[in-house]
Amino acid sequence: MKHPAAESTTVRQAVPVADGRDSRPEPVEAAGRAPRSWWRHPAVVRTVAGLLILVVWQVVVEATAKSYVTRPTGVIKVIPSVLTEHLFLSDIGTTLTAVIEGLAMATVIGTVVGLLVGRLPDVRRILGMYVNGVYAMPIIAVVPLLTVWFGYTPTARLVVIVLEASLPVIYNVAEGARTVPRTYLEVTRIHRAPWWRVWFGVVLPASLPYVLAGIDLAIGRALIGAVVAEFIASINGLGYYILFNVNSFHEDRAIVALIVLALFAIVLRALVNLVIRRVLVWYRPV
Amino acid sequence: MPRQGARSRVHLAAWHRVRAVAGYTVGIAAGVIAWQLVGEHSEQQIFVPLTDTLHRLGELISDGTLGGALANSFATYGVGMFIALVVGAFGGLLLARSELIRTAFEPYLTGLYAAPMVALIPFLLAFLGFGFWPKSIVVALFAFFPVLLNTQRGAQSIAPELLDVARLYHTREKDLWIHVIAPYTLPFFMTGVRQALARGLVGMIAADIFLSANGLGGLLITASQFFDTAEMLATVLVITAAGIALMAIGNLIERRFARWKVDQ
Repeated sequence: MKHPAAESTTVRQAVPVADGRDSRPEPVEAAGRAPRSWWRHPAVVRTVAGLLILVVWQVVVEATAKSYVTRPTGVIKVIPSVLTEHLFLSDIGTTLTAVIEGLAMATVIGTVVGLLVGRLPDVRRILGMYVNGVYAMPIIAVVPLLTVWFGYTPTARLVVIVLEASLPVIYNVAEGARTVPRTYLEVTRIHRAPWWRVWFGVVLPASLPYVLAGIDLAIGRALIGAVVAEFIASINGLGYYILFNVNSFHEDRAIVALIVLALFAIVLRALVNLVIRRVLVWYRPV
Repeated sequence: MPRQGARSRVHLAAWHRVRAVAGYTVGIAAGVIAWQLVGEHSEQQIFVPLTDTLHRLGELISDGTLGGALANSFATYGVGMFIALVVGAFGGLLLARSELIRTAFEPYLTGLYAAPMVALIPFLLAFLGFGFWPKSIVVALFAFFPVLLNTQRGAQSIAPELLDVARLYHTREKDLWIHVIAPYTLPFFMTGVRQALARGLVGMIAADIFLSANGLGGLLITASQFFDTAEMLATVLVITAAGIALMAIGNLIERRFARWKVDQ
């Protein structure tokens, strides 16, 4: 990541340009290339590509698939009715609330367990293998068991979300807590700081970037957990909305729910990254 | 005095080793005892003791159910991973090499990557059915993105000095790819492979559960329909073992190729 954008042009020029010096002063070259023809502008290129995707999708589906298979024109037609549908709005509410609730719980659980596992070697030896094992296991494999324990209820969904989301947080925080710079801890020892000041004043802040990195990873997993739980246990929510509508030949409506899920993930991750850049300005990777 | 110091250091090292072994032992023992005790004090449908689980696991192995399920699941896994690796590698190189394609499709790829893949399964089921190939495609879909993104990142970050040297020697396009770009990108690709191995396993279980219910996921579903908790736990154990094995393999190959990196 240390070299900024223009690499691919360098690759392209590698062969035709025999004399390296011609293309060396890159800023000049970039400045010369900046006022390119308007159709090379990123926004234009992206819009054209997007339209191309939609057209290909439309044509392929029209030509090959059955009438209920989703296509762009169909999706556009149902968007107004889906967005005003009461069931859809309440499904958005329940799923997204569950995901945020689960992420909050996972953050707390993950930070506490992660700090303990990372900082205390004895705890790491006892708990570490279980954390690794559960992290390596696809959580979806225990969902049938969880539905037996918690029934076909929203609680089951919340448990699945928390399980999915807390593991990356635990993993990242443990890594962060383990690699707290030794000099920081030596300073606390010199000042004879009490244990709670070491933990809350040094270890926790030093691990905070890792907490956020863990949450960033946890968002995608939390959404997967919510959808899987809704699929398996038929709990009302966006995932079940998708399943129900696909099964009753309303794929166009289901696609809208899928788009909402993707947008939610994008917005949440953007928020976390904003926090990382704005709030953690003091963070210097060692 | 120095000898005494040396001796106490040896003692300290030994003490640390004892304490480490004790820690792991306590960890395993606590897990085993907790599983056994909780199992003995809860109803059959909720949880069963470890001994019952292992007994059921033995039955599943000896009557061939487990072997069949493993073969079935990992056939889809293998084919799906193969598709993901090939498409991901070529797609990543293409994205890295052509700025036009990158600007054109990157936002849409990011959008698709953000969507929870499981939510696509009902559409695939309706579109393709539930046989072997649709299941492989689910695995490929889960595993594809990390390969694509890591390959792209690698090929895009290739050090200009390397290309300059190649240029000085009038390297032909083909040789440039074989001797510079491919070796440079390979470690990044392997990071993608490591991530893909784990995600593909999730896709495999999801495909087993939501498409035709056979393989390991099918075992879970039938067991849950009969409230056969022992069989569910045994299957979960097997899946976890597979996950740990895949993680170890992924770390191994990633570390092996990390030595090729020009600078860390």
